[in-house]
Amino acid sequence: MEQSAVMEGVVKILTPWVKNEDALQAVGMETNILDDLKVNSARLVDVVIAFEDEFDIEIDDEDVDTVNTVGDAVKLISEKLG
Amino acid sequence: MPRRHRSQRAVGWLLAPFWFPLASLFLRLRFGCRIEDISRSRALYHKIRSESDLPLLICANHLTLVDSFFIAQALAPNWRFLLDFDSVPWNTPEEVNFANTPFNHALVYIAKCVPIRRGGKREDIREVLSRIEYLLGRGEVAILFPEGGRSRTGRIDPDNAGWGVGRVIARVKDCRVLCVYMRGDAQETFGTYPKHGDRLRVSMALIEPKSDARGVRKTRDLSAQIMSQLAQMEADYFATRAGPSHAVAGS
Repeated sequence: MEQSAVMEGVVKILTPWVKNEDALQAVGMETNILDDLKVNSARLVDVVIAFEDEFDIEIDDEDVDTVNTVGDAVKLISEKLG
Repeated sequence: MPRRHRSQRAVGWLLAPFWFPLASLFLRLRFGCRIEDISRSRALYHKIRSESDLPLLICANHLTLVDSFFIAQALAPNWRFLLDFDSVPWNTPEEVNFANTPFNHALVYIAKCVPIRRGGKREDIREVLSRIEYLLGRGEVAILFPEGGRSRTGRIDPDNAGWGVGRVIARVKDCRVLCVYMRGDAQETFGTYPKHGDRLRVSMALIEPKSDARGVRKTRDLSAQIMSQLAQMEADYFATRAGPSHAVAGS
């Protein structure tokens, strides 16, 4: 899957949890999911499970620790997709 | 980590004959709260600790800044904590509230606390939870508030729970969870402290969360089971609030 398609899917999944709409408008690979988009950290697990469902992959707890930015999520998902 | 833990535990134990009574006296004079049927909750905790050496994590609702102190009082008298220092739960107080000065930092150090910053860096939170996992794995007791902070609604909200607790349980083999619901009769919503002279009611339920799921789904499942238990205990509390105190054990 193209990285741009993964990026599009990630942003689509994040959108319902985003509290900073301005940051969402300017979202990029460097955008921090918690600090910039203001996604509630307690909801990160739901976001990750949505990634699993959308891309048909399995993400470990340890992997979640590596996801800080949108780019981190795209990279992780791309790796899982092979 | 083992060395750091041993040092903190040793200092806390050596000073316990001094800080236990001082803490109890402070709670009595400052808040004047009475824990209803305290002998029953203490007997239950003693029974749970005596019957098994398996890891025990205490998960409680969270309404005031001093909940963990009163929960500790509800678990055992000071003399029993002195005889079995491992039964004193390790606690993770909010760093901004309790470890904001060198003096407070020293206090939480001797009181078996590992400060955590709510909303802090994830790697810092991860380190604290890793330490809790380590402590549980070696037979000590720890207390975590699954909601991650005081409930802003004053009620258990299963849909707004953190998932750190589930992650800890998933990583600690055979971890049991002692769910504790504590609430003062005058405690309508969350607050800084309980109302002076309030009557605190405590209920307990021992559960063993299980999940066949993997990865983050397992983490979420385990957290949800605890939140569900606490929500049920809250429902029971309000259903019986007008009646006598209750302290129950589940399995």
